[in-house]
Amino acid sequence: MKHASISALACLLAAAWLAGCGRSDAPAPAPPPAAGSAGPALTIGVSFETLQTGFWVASLDAFKAELGRRNLKMIQAIADGDANRQIEQVKNFITRKVDGIVMVPKDAKACLPVIKAANAAHIPIVLFNRPPDKSDAKSTAVVADNFALTKETVTYMIGEARKTGRKHKAMVLIGDLGDINAIGRRDGFEAAVREAPETIEVVARVPTEWNQEKAQAGVVNALQAHPDLSFIFTSSDFLFPSIVSALTGAGKYKKVGEPGHVLLGGFDGDATAWQMLADGYLDATGVQDVYFEVEACVNAILDARAGKPVPEIVKDPGFVIHQGNLKEKSARMWGAKK
Amino acid sequence: MLEFDAISKSFAHVRVLRDVSFAVRPGRTLGLVGENGAGKSTLMNILGGNVPPDSGRMRLQGQPYAPRGPLEAARRGIAFIHQELNLFPNLSIEENLFLTAFPRVGALPIIHRRALRERAAALLEQVGLNQPPGTAVERLPAGERQLVEIAKALSLEARLIIFDEPTTSLSAPEAGRLFGLMERLRQRGLSMIYISHTLADVLRLSDDIVVLRDGEVAGAGPREAFSVERLISLMVGRHLSQLYPARKPAERSAGPGAAPPVRLEVRGVTQPGVVRDIRFALRRGEVLGLAGLMGAGRSELARILFGLDPCARGQILLDGRPIQRESPRRRIRRGLAFLTEDRRDEGLCLEASVSDNIALVSLERHARPPLGLLDFDRLRRAVSGVRAAVRLTPTAREEAPVKTLSGGNQQKVVLAKWLLAMADPGVLILDEPTRGIDVGARHDLYQLILEAADRGAGVLAISSELEELLGICDRILVMSRGEIKDELTQPLFDRERILRAALAGGPAAAPLP
Amino acid sequence: MTAAATTHPQPEAASLPVRLLRSEHLVLLLSALYFLALAPFTPGFASVGNLGNLLSTLLPLFVAAMGQTVVLIVGGIDLSATSIIALCSITGAAVASGDQGWLAGSPLAVPAALAAMLAVGGLVGLFNGLAITRFRMPPFIVTLTTMMFFSGLAIWLTRSRNIGQLPAAFNALGGKTWLTLLLCLPLAAGAHFMLSRSVWGRWLYATGHNPRAALVSGVPVAGVVVSAYVVAGLLAAVAAVLYTGQAESGSPVLAQRLLLDIVGATVIGGASLFGGRGRILWTLCGVVFLKLIDNSLNLLDLSHFTIMMVKGGVILLAAMLDALRRRLG
Repeated sequence: MKHASISALACLLAAAWLAGCGRSDAPAPAPPPAAGSAGPALTIGVSFETLQTGFWVASLDAFKAELGRRNLKMIQAIADGDANRQIEQVKNFITRKVDGIVMVPKDAKACLPVIKAANAAHIPIVLFNRPPDKSDAKSTAVVADNFALTKETVTYMIGEARKTGRKHKAMVLIGDLGDINAIGRRDGFEAAVREAPETIEVVARVPTEWNQEKAQAGVVNALQAHPDLSFIFTSSDFLFPSIVSALTGAGKYKKVGEPGHVLLGGFDGDATAWQMLADGYLDATGVQDVYFEVEACVNAILDARAGKPVPEIVKDPGFVIHQGNLKEKSARMWGAKK
Repeated sequence: MLEFDAISKSFAHVRVLRDVSFAVRPGRTLGLVGENGAGKSTLMNILGGNVPPDSGRMRLQGQPYAPRGPLEAARRGIAFIHQELNLFPNLSIEENLFLTAFPRVGALPIIHRRALRERAAALLEQVGLNQPPGTAVERLPAGERQLVEIAKALSLEARLIIFDEPTTSLSAPEAGRLFGLMERLRQRGLSMIYISHTLADVLRLSDDIVVLRDGEVAGAGPREAFSVERLISLMVGRHLSQLYPARKPAERSAGPGAAPPVRLEVRGVTQPGVVRDIRFALRRGEVLGLAGLMGAGRSELARILFGLDPCARGQILLDGRPIQRESPRRRIRRGLAFLTEDRRDEGLCLEASVSDNIALVSLERHARPPLGLLDFDRLRRAVSGVRAAVRLTPTAREEAPVKTLSGGNQQKVVLAKWLLAMADPGVLILDEPTRGIDVGARHDLYQLILEAADRGAGVLAISSELEELLGICDRILVMSRGEIKDELTQPLFDRERILRAALAGGPAAAPLP
Repeated sequence: MTAAATTHPQPEAASLPVRLLRSEHLVLLLSALYFLALAPFTPGFASVGNLGNLLSTLLPLFVAAMGQTVVLIVGGIDLSATSIIALCSITGAAVASGDQGWLAGSPLAVPAALAAMLAVGGLVGLFNGLAITRFRMPPFIVTLTTMMFFSGLAIWLTRSRNIGQLPAAFNALGGKTWLTLLLCLPLAAGAHFMLSRSVWGRWLYATGHNPRAALVSGVPVAGVVVSAYVVAGLLAAVAAVLYTGQAESGSPVLAQRLLLDIVGATVIGGASLFGGRGRILWTLCGVVFLKLIDNSLNLLDLSHFTIMMVKGGVILLAAMLDALRRRLG
């Protein structure tokens, strides 16, 4: 049968290809000891919930670079937004006896069973960017100080607003309130504006649930209700495209310093924000210092392996990038074009 | 016109055609007959370029002819009119006619609407179809669709048209119209091959006849050399003098004093627009025929009796109990069986195995409570028992999908299913039980039906072939336009009287009120 | 017809690859082949620990795929399976959760949670089945809309928040592999027997093959279809118990991404999207195959995008083999 032999051939080819992939990419069963170091290189398992936004892709790349720099081996797993799949993948790390685990958990509760499993296997586990719920499971979480950094960013924006000498009507785009980071950013914003009642009046609070379409609809509505809106802060930079399209539609998308400019601020420091800064449209954004966070994760794992005490939470202070310090800071901004 | 010269073909070591040679002469119609599996379809597939012959040659109008595909066959002037038509029902008549060669506006890729319409109208006139060319094909009755198909063949300037069982889905007047058209085409010098199981039609329409049996030519010659009897004996290879089995005369003429009990009684069943005031009684051991034209309401009545279609008024009594409110499922439990006219869509699960099909109605009787787990041994024994009783071909394995069987064996599977279901012989409703089935299998089916009646079943048989009803029934009811118009009792069957009653109230093709 | 004309091609004459292709255990063979081919290159693939992991993640998917098998056999499809899982997950968690559950701390919490989950699953299934049979709506549309409605409802009810602090006994059902196995084995055996040996099973297949013929043959077609969706809903609820236990929290987006895995594994196993074909054992093979691929690609440490491409390719290959097999069969 001709078809049968063709398909058998296809099978073989596919198997050979897979096997080839295995040979070139997989860590060899017995890795050669790294030059100069005492033992074999340590292996760190990195599990991300998703790679769907630029922030996560940049973070994963940063891990790759950092671990490579320190001569550590990295294995990765992406859970595609499924908590159970992530549990499975991290358990795979544990059965492979990795030396440390970094995890971006899908949610704060479903990660608890795997943290316990890692504890039981005596493998240090660090949560990147999202803290777990309170429990007796032991882990380290490296998170941006959302509250402080947002407050700093918004305070910078208020300073710029004061320079105009008039009062500004403000809008804030709030994230998914199931996300502790979103709550921190909202609270940071509120704390900053509370200190400047003479300059800022918040007229619109748009719940986006981290959804572009909802954000866009909310911004358009707010602009209609308040045509004199002149101060916008978004809890994440990835919502900027929605804001820009709504502002452009209303003819209010102007560069910093031009008459009619709406003060814009955000949080994250992604590529869109960097481009808007470089082009002179964006006033400021709070940058999560991905490189600091990645380094802190790796340090926490190594410290734990060395028996040193590690804190439960490591806070990334981040930094505000604005028109004034753009050149100097953009090297540490993960979204910046290099 | 066309010559077959020693054509042979095998599929996987099975010889389907062996040295078949004959010729179709210009301007003449050749009737091609043979049982299912005799090799007719394979021969036509070779002619149409769908399969190549293993050996042998064809010549078309004196030129060597070896088509590499259906397209080449069409280009060389050969057209096929099939049972299942090859039209696009959602498109209009004219679009179907010119699908492959739309008249264009100059060289532009735009359809020239007016030219299209004019040419379509001319073609429709040739085939005698009185419909605007813009009509969607799905709105035409089956007979008119076939005329469109023929018009399409003419538009491609076909020289040889093959009609493969063209009348199966046609009513009598539609078939008459088709035959008239074929005659006109013959007079215009077209050659035709006519394939049918209806031997009387073949004798009437053909100039020459070829009989195929087991892949060989069993007989060939001018029409005058054949009769129905001779055709049958050539097709079957044995002398089937009696297609219809004889019944013991004692049971056929039970005297009025000793009338057997009534199994099924129908009292004034009426469904507006479908049937009106149907009354009859079917007795134990009786075979009752329902004659009539297509659309007379016979199949609809059968569906009402079985509970598949609603019935507005009237009573249906099975062994004295009213059942008109019950579901088909309950009626089956009371002993009613229904062999539908649509074997493929309603009679069988074609993908399922022979034994699964046979067992389907009887599953519950072979299961153990409370979970309904099946008693496989008992079920298997019962299935093989009834399988043997219907004389299913021994080559059909129990686990083979039913779709691999021939039409006759498929129908035997349906019958076996119902025979197994009716522990006591119940009431069998048979709607076109032998449609599309070859002569040998027909004989077996008739015998099974009569055996069931002899065991005490009541049989209600619907058939469009009057011969069949005359051959097996004790009594015949004639329906027309949803009503029973006449009743005849064996031996006083009268063909002419039946036809008159069937035609009463106008042509059956007309929609019912 | 002559005897010669109906002789079937002798199976003995077929070559070995053709025979393998025709085998109904093709998927199992492929899985074994795949395992053997990759084990030497894949660190930890064949280790006991990894196989244990594999088992614990495979079982919940298997339970959900069993439900899908039943529905596919009857000629339908259940796209709402994942939303049933999510809805059941938060229902069970809302009943049993230690910090905010209605029965927090009560000894009845776990059985009540299980009963509530099964009830929710069964009711959604019943709704699906009735909508399909009563209003003659296509199963695709009905279950697509119930999927959207119930996953939305689950998120709305919880305000998108997870419910944690579940009782240990509840978590053990999905979290302790031996217990999960103990639960799944009789379930699978029962489903297998009901499908292959009961009247109900035969009715499912007949209805899937040809509902009109089934109706004429006295099969209570509407009841059979409804029962299939109810069973699928109940099995989805059981899958929800396992998934929720594994994650130790009820989540309104639990299993949201699993629909393709559920339907895919079932179809790879050999169930037909056109009805009338499917078996529990086939589905088990499909689930094993899918999970093997997942697991091995994960262990090979390929990049996320490579994994997705390879997975798609391997599934396509399996589907092609299946199509080829049908043509030969």
